[in-house]
Amino acid sequence: MIELTKINRAEAFRYMGLRGEPPENISVLADECESRLVSAANPKFHWIYADIGDISEDTVTLSGHKLVLRGRDISAHLDGCFGTVLLCATLGDGVDKLLRTVQAEDMAKALTADALASAAVEQVCDIAEKEIGERFAGKFTTWRFSPGYGDFPLECQGDFLAAVNAMRIVGVCVTDGGLLTPTKSVTAVIGISEKPVPQKRRGCGTCKIREKCDFRKNGGHCYE
Amino acid sequence: MNKKEVFYKLLKDNEFVFWDGAMGTMLQAKGMEMGGIPEMLNFDKPDWIEEIHYAYVNAGSQIVCANTFGCNRYKMAKTGKSVAEIISAAVGIAKKACGDKALVALDMGPIGQLLEPTGSLTFEEAYDIFKEQVVAAVQAGADIIACETMTDLYELKAAVLAAKENSDLPIITTMTFEQTNRTFTGCSVSAMALTMEGLGVDAIGVNCSLGPKELEPVVAEFSKWTTLPLAVKPNAGLPDPITNKYDLTPEDFADSMANLVKYGVKVAGGCCGTNPDFIRAVVNRLKDMKYSQQKPKLEAAVCSPAKTVIIDQPRIIGERINPTGKKRFKEALKSEDIGYILGQAIEQINAGADILDVNVGLPDIDEKEMMVKVVKALQSVTDLPLQLDSTRPDVLEAALMVYNGKPIVNSVNGEKASMEAILPLVKKYGAAVVGLALDEGGIPKTAEGRFEIAEKILANAEKVGIPKRDVFIDCLTLTASAEQAAVMETVKALHRVKTELGLKTVLGVSNISFGLPNRELVNCNFLQMALTNGLDLPIINPNAALMTGAVRAYKLLANIDENSTEFIAAYSGSNFTASVSSTGAAAAPKSDSNDLPSAIANGLKDEGARITEELLKTKDGMEIVDDLLIPALDKAGAEFESGKIFLPQLIMAASVAQAAFEVLKRHMAQSGGESVSKGKVVLATVKGDIHDIGKNIVKVLLENYGFEVIDLGKDVPPENVLEAAVKHGVKLVGLSALMTTTLGSMEETVKLLHDNNVPCKIVVGGAVLTPEYAEKIGADFYAKDAKETVDIAKKIYS
Repeated sequence: MIELTKINRAEAFRYMGLRGEPPENISVLADECESRLVSAANPKFHWIYADIGDISEDTVTLSGHKLVLRGRDISAHLDGCFGTVLLCATLGDGVDKLLRTVQAEDMAKALTADALASAAVEQVCDIAEKEIGERFAGKFTTWRFSPGYGDFPLECQGDFLAAVNAMRIVGVCVTDGGLLTPTKSVTAVIGISEKPVPQKRRGCGTCKIREKCDFRKNGGHCYE
Repeated sequence: MNKKEVFYKLLKDNEFVFWDGAMGTMLQAKGMEMGGIPEMLNFDKPDWIEEIHYAYVNAGSQIVCANTFGCNRYKMAKTGKSVAEIISAAVGIAKKACGDKALVALDMGPIGQLLEPTGSLTFEEAYDIFKEQVVAAVQAGADIIACETMTDLYELKAAVLAAKENSDLPIITTMTFEQTNRTFTGCSVSAMALTMEGLGVDAIGVNCSLGPKELEPVVAEFSKWTTLPLAVKPNAGLPDPITNKYDLTPEDFADSMANLVKYGVKVAGGCCGTNPDFIRAVVNRLKDMKYSQQKPKLEAAVCSPAKTVIIDQPRIIGERINPTGKKRFKEALKSEDIGYILGQAIEQINAGADILDVNVGLPDIDEKEMMVKVVKALQSVTDLPLQLDSTRPDVLEAALMVYNGKPIVNSVNGEKASMEAILPLVKKYGAAVVGLALDEGGIPKTAEGRFEIAEKILANAEKVGIPKRDVFIDCLTLTASAEQAAVMETVKALHRVKTELGLKTVLGVSNISFGLPNRELVNCNFLQMALTNGLDLPIINPNAALMTGAVRAYKLLANIDENSTEFIAAYSGSNFTASVSSTGAAAAPKSDSNDLPSAIANGLKDEGARITEELLKTKDGMEIVDDLLIPALDKAGAEFESGKIFLPQLIMAASVAQAAFEVLKRHMAQSGGESVSKGKVVLATVKGDIHDIGKNIVKVLLENYGFEVIDLGKDVPPENVLEAAVKHGVKLVGLSALMTTTLGSMEETVKLLHDNNVPCKIVVGGAVLTPEYAEKIGADFYAKDAKETVDIAKKIYS
């Protein structure tokens, strides 16, 4: 069981486009949303390890798996790795219900709760990543690369979830449109390497909304 | 002997019935690739499947699941085989392996997509998918239907209804629970037991999830909630993420299973990671043990998946979702303003309701369609169980079908026709029912007469198989001003029904004071009289602080609310003010200021509503909108654009305006004055997309600028957008899509509107959208945010 008692509010406020200290009325909303979110969330993650089979310019196969990772960006991401971890993390369906409820109550509250939930699922990924790092002590890991980044297609979510057995173990499914449900869920690929991997920053280079991103317009980015 | 009798004979002749163990992990051990489709091995490797079944039968399994767990049309779509072909092959192999030594079950797992409201699969589609499997299984000659590994009660209900309506096979249902006694989706053991026992399945329990040791609290909980045979199929412990190996030995597994026998386990098997050795170990370990049947005393209870309300003390049924005598509510029904209805629900929940009555009967609307829509919307935002309220059996049946959990039906009465129409529905869907103490002869004047009708309703309910605990009697409140002598007859009848028949009682209270001054005083005292005489389910307006308070005070004084915990929680500190101010007009003004623009700028919602009420005494609605609301919003909008305030603050300002508009709408509905609408806009999140917060933000802003929004929701097919645009004759349609994968359906929607020459403009927006793409797909406008959408709408309707 993962305990999520505090949510990274600074991160959530950044998602909401706030700069500097939040105004008092937003802070009050965040107090309420954070406590409701903590009780509604049923955070979970599950990961599996697979040896990398073949890696070409735009395709990565995994030994014993049907799932094939496609795209130049994921190939580049796993360059030099011998294996990969497939991770699925979620806050659970209770958070979707909470987000629906607060939307019926008050949209400012809903926006706040949504941003807090987005920050929270990243925290769950951080906890998972820590566990993965410990299981592969002595090896080196890449950062988390998710379907939808760059040319790594969202369409692979179904096969990805099947490989992780995510439906059964953490209750995460995908819609026909390739969207994860519960909505506050994440899938990600982490490469495992014998040698230090060049830690490319979580860059805007592969991001789909780089041309219109408000963070970038203001000279920043959406990650810490 | 039919299949049900065969199954029951199996249960009767044996202390325990042994199920089989895992299929998927066995196939992986034989070499199936991870993420492969096990059902295709019915064709590619039938010998593997047969060997596995045969090994289980040899180990002692008396029920064997055919290799059909994921065999539904959604998961099998790309296999090139039909569901019927696969099920026929799988059941055939299992029958061959089992011979007459074991029964063959159709194994039905989750569809693989989440159902509405979180996912995009509708309940009706889910039913249809399961129906196809059931029909194929019957044809293939399966003996049992096993619904397994379910985490969503709604999906399980669709599966069970599909099984019951399309076969007479016995049904075993098991869900995947965590140690918290809940599934991933929050369904509790009690809710599963209440709902499944109501729907008439033959055995229930738990599978997968965890090892048998970790599942002990779950199995213990089941034993408190059901008299059905209990089925348990745990995993072989927990898997290691790197090796994918499970950590229990067959002997450890069997020991832990033996420990669960005391909770009434009847059917025992294994799930992920188990193999025939595990089943053999369980068979050996249990062979000298006795089945320990549990006989819990089952209380009257209703539930949603996440909330079970036991009626062992007074519980408040909120009466506000009902158009009778409410112009604003009627208006909302006619314009399909579901948001307004949800607002009514949330207000009652916060005020202390335990159950919500839902009545949407209005002559000019399609009551059935509206009922389904409202039930689905309500259960998407609240965990409170619902009381489905209609005079029409077809409306009740539609609502019972889509309700997720065990509801109350309101109502049946003592007329023969009513009992014949309603009681079988109540039985079929496993609901509780309100019986009104009236019949062909009307409402009896005396307590004796009403008591007799209650007896008659109970007898008829029991005759169709409805348990006595699920019959609640309403002895009927008559208006004191018209029939003063009848008041005590109601109270007496209620007391007798409660004490002599042992039934729960329900009563609509507010009607008592009709036509009298100081109605709340009369209501409150009548409520106290009824509670003291045994009323379990008062139907009241929970927003009336005195009424809810009367119930809380009664529970305190009757020593039900131990240590006054609930009472103190409700009335200590700021909560008291909150519950008082929710009555609206009774709220004390927080300030004397009538400065609406300042309330908007500061995000003071309650103030906004109060000031608007005040202003309406001297100004008309349109004046308030044009002179105060819109300029204040424009100012906030300009500040947002210049980066002085941020989106959450803009929305807060908008929310104040929304509260003000709500007051104006109510005022208009009552006075029948001119509409404050600036024009209608259709909004939708396109087909395939389920992220609708962005669209909802646009909606709030548009509404607060006086536009009437026809909100089609999320995952909206292009045809629905077309239909709404034409039906409402709008000049503007707004479409939202968040993900790259759903931009295609945005394009389709735009094309459909153009192809049909709908004379409206289209504005599009969403995270991955660009002005270039908007132009490419033929949209008229691209809006970078909600504010820009409002500017576009203003331009179009100017």
